[in-house]
Amino acid sequence: MMKTKIQRMLLISTLVAMSGCSSLGVEPWERDLLAKDEMSLSAEPIDAALDDHIYFSKEASSGGKGFGGGGCGCN
Amino acid sequence: MKSKIDKINIKSALTVATVALLGTSSLAQAESSSTSSVQDSSWEFDSAFLFYSEVDRVSAGEAILNAKKTFDNDEVLNLKLTIDTLTGASANGAVAQPTVQTFTRPSGNGQYDIAAGDTPLDDTFHDTRVQLNGQWTQPLAPDYTVSGGFHLSKEYDYLSLGINGNIAVDFDRKNSTFSAGFSYFQDTFTPEGGIPNPLTSMLIGNSDASTWDDSFAQTRIGSEDDKTTTDILLGFTQVINRRMLMQFNYSYSMVDGYLTDPFKILSVVNNTGKTQDYLYESRPDSRVKQSVFAQSLYHFDSSVLDVSYRYMWDDWEITSHTIDSRFRIPLGDGFGKESYIQPHLRIYQQSAADFYRPFITDDEALPAFASADYRIGEMTAITVGFKYGMLVNNGHELSFRLEYYRQTPTNAGFDEPGVLNDVELYPTVDAIIGQVTYSF
Amino acid sequence: MKNTRTVNLEKNKDSYSLKFNAMASPCEVIIQTSDEELAVKLGKLVSAEVWRIEDKYSRYDQNSLCSAINNNAGQSVVIDDETFQLLSFADQCYQLSDGLFDITSGVLRKVWSFQSQYNSKTNFPSAAQINTTLLNVGWNKINFDPKQITLAKGMEIDFGGIGKEYAVDRGIIVAKELTNQPVLVNLGGDLAVTGARLNNETWQVAIEPPDIDSDLVNGHEKTIDMIVSLKSGALATSGDSKRFLIHKGKRYGHILNAKTGWPISKAPRSITVVAPQCIQAGILATFALLQGCDAEEFLTNQEIKFWARR
Repeated sequence: MMKTKIQRMLLISTLVAMSGCSSLGVEPWERDLLAKDEMSLSAEPIDAALDDHIYFSKEASSGGKGFGGGGCGCN
Repeated sequence: MKSKIDKINIKSALTVATVALLGTSSLAQAESSSTSSVQDSSWEFDSAFLFYSEVDRVSAGEAILNAKKTFDNDEVLNLKLTIDTLTGASANGAVAQPTVQTFTRPSGNGQYDIAAGDTPLDDTFHDTRVQLNGQWTQPLAPDYTVSGGFHLSKEYDYLSLGINGNIAVDFDRKNSTFSAGFSYFQDTFTPEGGIPNPLTSMLIGNSDASTWDDSFAQTRIGSEDDKTTTDILLGFTQVINRRMLMQFNYSYSMVDGYLTDPFKILSVVNNTGKTQDYLYESRPDSRVKQSVFAQSLYHFDSSVLDVSYRYMWDDWEITSHTIDSRFRIPLGDGFGKESYIQPHLRIYQQSAADFYRPFITDDEALPAFASADYRIGEMTAITVGFKYGMLVNNGHELSFRLEYYRQTPTNAGFDEPGVLNDVELYPTVDAIIGQVTYSF
Repeated sequence: MKNTRTVNLEKNKDSYSLKFNAMASPCEVIIQTSDEELAVKLGKLVSAEVWRIEDKYSRYDQNSLCSAINNNAGQSVVIDDETFQLLSFADQCYQLSDGLFDITSGVLRKVWSFQSQYNSKTNFPSAAQINTTLLNVGWNKINFDPKQITLAKGMEIDFGGIGKEYAVDRGIIVAKELTNQPVLVNLGGDLAVTGARLNNETWQVAIEPPDIDSDLVNGHEKTIDMIVSLKSGALATSGDSKRFLIHKGKRYGHILNAKTGWPISKAPRSITVVAPQCIQAGILATFALLQGCDAEEFLTNQEIKFWARR
């Protein structure tokens, strides 16, 4: 009983938050800064791949931004 | 047929005419690019070489060549070749002792000694790996993008094959994007010396004796094993304003199969901390990991800040926090054409797996699973570094990266009986990372 | 009938915009500076230069030099150095385009009337009408030298194909004489910049898709699907998005083949060209359109940066 009430509230608050998203964002002609390479989420894919390999081999966590995946025998 | 304009260079004839009209002071180049897809179907290459070196331990070199081609209609083909090689010594999981210790190499061919007081390191690892990746991305419909790819990785004792797929949907003037993706990997492991019988003793003796091979074979349960990894990744990206962008991801990963490290052991110690035996480690045959990730990019007047946080938790009781940040500072043309410097700071902290233990005591019952691999123990790690980049030769980018990575394993609450008090049970691992990248 | 000649100042985050109307187009000068006085001065300077060119070369203005030349067809009319240079440029264009580009082709407008798609009156000429009018077209029939120009009777010259782009380039020249701050001069979509913005950033230019009629902009959602990042040089767009007519279901753009008198068929709806000067960009865009279906191939062969929309 309690669980469904919480679930419903969570759903409503998510929808409210998402409708608030319509006030976020820019028009296409305001994308001057966002268009730059350094503002891309995949800005440095080579560095990211090399780092991911290092941290996958030396730590217990992997992925998060991309796939954690298997790939090598290093861990 | 319409009369075609002669292929005499109209452009230069017009330039001459324009100079006559406007005067030479107005002569300039035109430089432009567009942010929507246009006729750009040439290959873009990135090449990089990375050097990783731990003090007294493992060193690795990795080279990457990435080729990307954008076709008409925003279709992109990405091919990547990676070659890496590993040498040096890694901790084998046993604890240090105030006396010399002898271990058998994973292959069974020979023994090696560790000096008194030293953390036992096995230096048999040197391997070269070749990896090939291919990824195809294309629009499916306005605002819908799909991507699919494969992965192939081969080293002396390991083969990994994988595929991935992803779909992304844009909303609201491309300010919001939802994406869903999956990946599946099938790995086969054929370790030198075969798969050891978990939680049984490491055979130590004379590898040249005639009875050695049979005795060693008795400690093995197979020559190879495999594992599969299935990942699901859900993501949401939102443009906040003209300067800021955020991304939120959730991922769920299931790994099944052989997850034990056949080269790692645990020391069995008595109540004075002296080692009595070495046992091969054993891990569960499945692991379910989940993570939530958030990243934010913010453009100041000229510099850009990139900060991200990841929280991971799994059914081995490991939880981890990762904060990663980069700050890109453009330096103008003073220090190299369109150069920049980008300091980097990463802070990582993880808790130990529930079956992690630095050693086993001989007065307790054997646990179902145990591992002394510090990489699934309690630890904090910090990476500090910077990257410097500039343009050379016609707009090609050259960059250098130098980082210092320090891993500090810590005691997750285990007692240190007897002589173990006098040795370093949780040695710090320091590493230097250097990278050169050239894009053309 | 002149619009009121005022320059409006608008302050933006890191720049000032000076807006005015000229050559039947909305015009804008953007200067990246925090100095309001400088911005006002620049606005006055550039608008004055643009209006000067309009007053001199507009065929709609009875007091212009262009009208004087046209009204005195058959007689020699005195010209100055600037006019001579413009005529020489037009001459080069005529040669390079093999006669397709011809500033004497303006008389053809008397038989073609290209209105906005919302004007119901469509005037589709007959072959006979076109042939008669063609007798008064032909740059080779003009006689000019550094001091004078003589048109044959019944002929007219029209600087419409190069006037706006020329004004953009002149605007940049006077802006550079006044200040080193980054400036962008935009006359109705034909624009040029003095150089990169501060911090070596690019100017972001939105290119209108060809379907939008500028009259409708206010009541209609403007969808822009392309942003061009310009660091230096100029950009000009040539196309039929605003002036065309539809006859028996077929669309006829307003760019006419000066040799046949008919609109170019199978031309792209719009071509945007990047070049060091606006006048170069504009001419190349027009040259390309004159190639009809070969427009893109022409520009690719010339190794020119362009975007075409069909």
